[in-house]
Amino acid sequence: MEELYIMIYIIVFIVGSIAGLLLSYKKHMEPYIISEIDVLTLVFSIVGWFLLFNHGLINAIRSVILLTIAFFCIGLAIGRRPGYGRKETAIGILIAGIVWILTSGVLF
Amino acid sequence: MNLMAQILINVIIAFLAGSLLLGFHRKVMARVQLRPGPPIIQYLLHSLKFFFKETTFPKTASIPFYIGITVILAIIWVTGVIVGPVTKGSLMILFGIYAIHKIVEHNAGSSSGSPYGKLSCVRAVFSAAGELPLFAVIAVIFLLTGTMDISGIIAYQSIHGPLFFQLPLAVLMFFTLIVTKSPYSPFAITKGKEIISGFETEHFGMLRGYIMFSESIAWYILLWIFLTIFFGPISVVGYLIGMIVICIITGFINATTPMLNPNHSVMTQISIAVICTVGSIIMIII
Repeated sequence: MEELYIMIYIIVFIVGSIAGLLLSYKKHMEPYIISEIDVLTLVFSIVGWFLLFNHGLINAIRSVILLTIAFFCIGLAIGRRPGYGRKETAIGILIAGIVWILTSGVLF
Repeated sequence: MNLMAQILINVIIAFLAGSLLLGFHRKVMARVQLRPGPPIIQYLLHSLKFFFKETTFPKTASIPFYIGITVILAIIWVTGVIVGPVTKGSLMILFGIYAIHKIVEHNAGSSSGSPYGKLSCVRAVFSAAGELPLFAVIAVIFLLTGTMDISGIIAYQSIHGPLFFQLPLAVLMFFTLIVTKSPYSPFAITKGKEIISGFETEHFGMLRGYIMFSESIAWYILLWIFLTIFFGPISVVGYLIGMIVICIITGFINATTPMLNPNHSVMTQISIAVICTVGSIIMIII
């Protein structure tokens, strides 16, 4: 069954990436890169990376569903037009990493 | 799970993951060369695109061969998935798959009738030396573990620890093979840019789609074999991290190294294979 879940995660990540690419080209048609943080991408990135690292904290929903949502959100943020989504992804990983360190008992 | 379902799922995983890894590899190369590079999913989108494009046939092509060879390429890599991740079978079958892959490169080049394809076809014969490190790795691993089955090698490593630390020269040999098979490699003489796309130049539409589908699976399987036979029983996360790290390393090498000429490419691979094989045997004996 694990392989089936892996396949679902990969497909969801790809669908998220394609959606992210289309959204970002719709929003940014200019031939240069605007280096501002996009709030919507940032939200997707934080939600995605948070769920990937910390899905164990949410017991009410099955981890397979949480990870599926996580990979879709990560795909949406990471799959943006080249030059976009990098800062948002880095912030998402940072926040998710800090929460994981604080809650996993690595420090204490 | 049903065997057929397992094969289907693993083929889909190999194709999608292989495509993403090739896209990531291209992205790494672009970033090293200070370019933004295409999105990671670009390779996958390209592969899918070809399945919907018109398929045309060159007048000079030997049609049955020209079509059949792409189907054979897809079949051998689906077989690779069955022998590798699904059944964890013999490394010798995988070596056979690589041997047939060389024959496919040779015949895909010659069947189109294109001069670029023909040159690639000649180079495919020449570059068969690239498979020498793979055979040497299999031989060295057999000498140490006494088995050629991937499941047996995994079991050996779960008791004695990863072969990565026991056979470092075999790792180097296999890594040379990975570099050889990676896109834009300094050793990839069959697909050198001076011969356009080598044996693939005259394959269009769906036939090109089959070739790209097979290349994605081939890249995934190559990385999967490397991680499995040198790191033993590792988790999905371990495979993911390992594959990403290998893509980054090969991306750096390929982005900064010019393509070698055919003589240098073959001699480098043979030299590495001979030195590492002798060194590994000495290490096993000592």
